[in-house]
Amino acid sequence: MNRIINQWLNDRPLYTMAALMSLIMGCSTTPLALEQARQNYQRMERDPQISQNAPVASYEASQALRRTEEEWEKNRNEDEVSHLAYLTDKRIEIARETARQKVAETEAQQLKQEREKVLLESRTREADRAKQLAESRAREAQQAQQEAEARARETQEAQRRAQAATNRAEDLEKRFAELQAKQTKRGFELTLNDVLFEFDKANLKPGATRSLTNVAQFLRENPERQITIEGYTDNVGSDAYNRELSQRRADSVRDFLVQSGISADRITARGLGEEYPVASNDTQAGRQQNRRVQIIIVNDNGRNARQ
Amino acid sequence: MYQKQFLSFRVAVPIVLTILSITGCSTIGPPKDSVAAADLAVREANKSKAPQYSPLELRRATDKLDEAKRAMDKEEYIRARRLAEEALVDAQLAEAKAASEDARRTASDVRQSLETLRREAQRSSGGD
Repeated sequence: MNRIINQWLNDRPLYTMAALMSLIMGCSTTPLALEQARQNYQRMERDPQISQNAPVASYEASQALRRTEEEWEKNRNEDEVSHLAYLTDKRIEIARETARQKVAETEAQQLKQEREKVLLESRTREADRAKQLAESRAREAQQAQQEAEARARETQEAQRRAQAATNRAEDLEKRFAELQAKQTKRGFELTLNDVLFEFDKANLKPGATRSLTNVAQFLRENPERQITIEGYTDNVGSDAYNRELSQRRADSVRDFLVQSGISADRITARGLGEEYPVASNDTQAGRQQNRRVQIIIVNDNGRNARQ
Repeated sequence: MYQKQFLSFRVAVPIVLTILSITGCSTIGPPKDSVAAADLAVREANKSKAPQYSPLELRRATDKLDEAKRAMDKEEYIRARRLAEEALVDAQLAEAKAASEDARRTASDVRQSLETLRREAQRSSGGD
């Protein structure tokens, strides 16, 4: 027996050594799959995100590793250990994926909140802008309305003024109709004939005052109006005398109006003698017509007197 | 004499071991629970986003489950149990990977829409 063993050892020393080594190592060293599972597990444990975000899956991975270790300790069944190590590796991978999922979900949640914030801000900004726009439009509308109202008031005022002017014009015509004045291109002409004056005198007869009071009244009501008083005579008497008499008569009329409160600035009084006869001086009646004082209420824009 | 004894010893040991292993197998019984759990896990994974995002892992799980069922039929119960257990973790991994990918895509979409929104907000506030 010894001889046979010795001879076998001598013949195949390396083969024997390898067989012995494999027997010893099979007993003491852990299988490769378990070794890798341990390393994977250690790597997982070093990543704080995994235990934080996937605590259950991490626990399951640790349990799987523990079962693998126990199997190795108790039974040394390499096939079962390899199988359990595979399960451990997959549990570690599941933990890692679960943690990544959790991280992504947390990130998505934060991003959604951020998006909500940005949306809200932009909506608020839009609302503010819309509000400002609405306000400025309201202001514009108000302004436009005020302008329209002002224009309407102006129009009304203009109409009122036009109406007043028309009324005044109509009034004027009525008044002058009463005075038996006639409209000429110089303005309204009112003729006071010599019956209002004493013969060869410049004093006004009492009958003249009624007509002149009306004229004064009209001038008070129309302070913008100017008048011209022109005295005329017939051709009896010297030219110079007639001119002087006609001037005095015109002045009498002016004085009466000034006494009635009309400013002398508005009155021009002139004696034109026997010029511009309105009728023939050959007859008594014609001469009477020529002895006269004309009051011309000058047109607003008209020339005020015969030159 | 020596020779005969030695030979009988060499033959006897494997026989005893074989008998032991066979009895060991037969005492385990069919791993019905493991196969049922794996079956459920594979079906769950199929209902998740796994077919879309992790088809390879899902395929591996399905194949192992099928093989586990075949091993059951052949009464290879240890193999059947191991295959079923592996099919279960493979299916769960497929599901976890798909869910994780889905979450990352969602986050990416939200990030993109947020950036677009920010750009628009900046443009509109900068432009006016």
